[in-house]
Amino acid sequence: MTRTDAPTFTVTRSFDAPRDLVYRVWTEQEHLGRWMSPAGLTPLESTLDLRPGGLFHYGMKTPDGAEMWGKWVFREVVPPERLVFVQSFSDREGGLTRHPMAAEWPMEVLSTVTFADEGGRTLLTLTGTPLNASEAERQTFEGALGGMNQGWAGTFAQLDAHLARTQEAQT
Amino acid sequence: MRGEANVTELAQPFPISLPAVTKHLKVLERAGLISRSREAQWRPCKLEAGPLREVADWTAHYRQFWEGTFDRLDDYLGTLQAQLQTPPQTLPDPTGEDT
Repeated sequence: MTRTDAPTFTVTRSFDAPRDLVYRVWTEQEHLGRWMSPAGLTPLESTLDLRPGGLFHYGMKTPDGAEMWGKWVFREVVPPERLVFVQSFSDREGGLTRHPMAAEWPMEVLSTVTFADEGGRTLLTLTGTPLNASEAERQTFEGALGGMNQGWAGTFAQLDAHLARTQEAQT
Repeated sequence: MRGEANVTELAQPFPISLPAVTKHLKVLERAGLISRSREAQWRPCKLEAGPLREVADWTAHYRQFWEGTFDRLDDYLGTLQAQLQTPPQTLPDPTGEDT
């Protein structure tokens, strides 16, 4: 059975900077390597090869000293409008790894970033959808969306699914 | 949720019958998401947060990752623009063309 209704994560943010600048900091090594990690984590070294098929490999260090690595494999590079890349967890050497905290998280998430000009500001939209995911991984991702994107309705749908699975396992 | 509650209290906000609520609670109990005391006649229910927290942790992580990263990007863009606006221009023209 193939599923075509791929679960999609969406996050948007408006930045107080012109689109060309926002696009530059996403696509130039000297910039990207300095901000591409969540606040509170320290960026480690990174490499960037900006072209379809090229790689952005980056690391970050948590306050307790643990290292996490990630990578993007670019699919589309369309200045200054759009980037498409496959995002994965990685190791220091750039190998593909699983989510360090969720064994059934999809190994690859197809991510699209669009940069919309809003007259001096830039509206950034990032969407993510699992790629080559097993049904269990797909459900993990979809469950995450239910809780975050659709509020309680989604949470209850997720709880229902969890309960149904639990009951199946018990009968 | 604070402490224990009985079926009547739990049913109060919902437009469904007490037996229907009882049925839902049985499902939650089997799934380990609540526990129910067998001592009292009214079988008080208690939320077992452990399994739910496990779900919430990885659920929150992906969004937290991007929201946290965008927080840093926002700061970075602010700093960068302040530098670019400082006269005389300290950074090269991004187009690489001198006027």
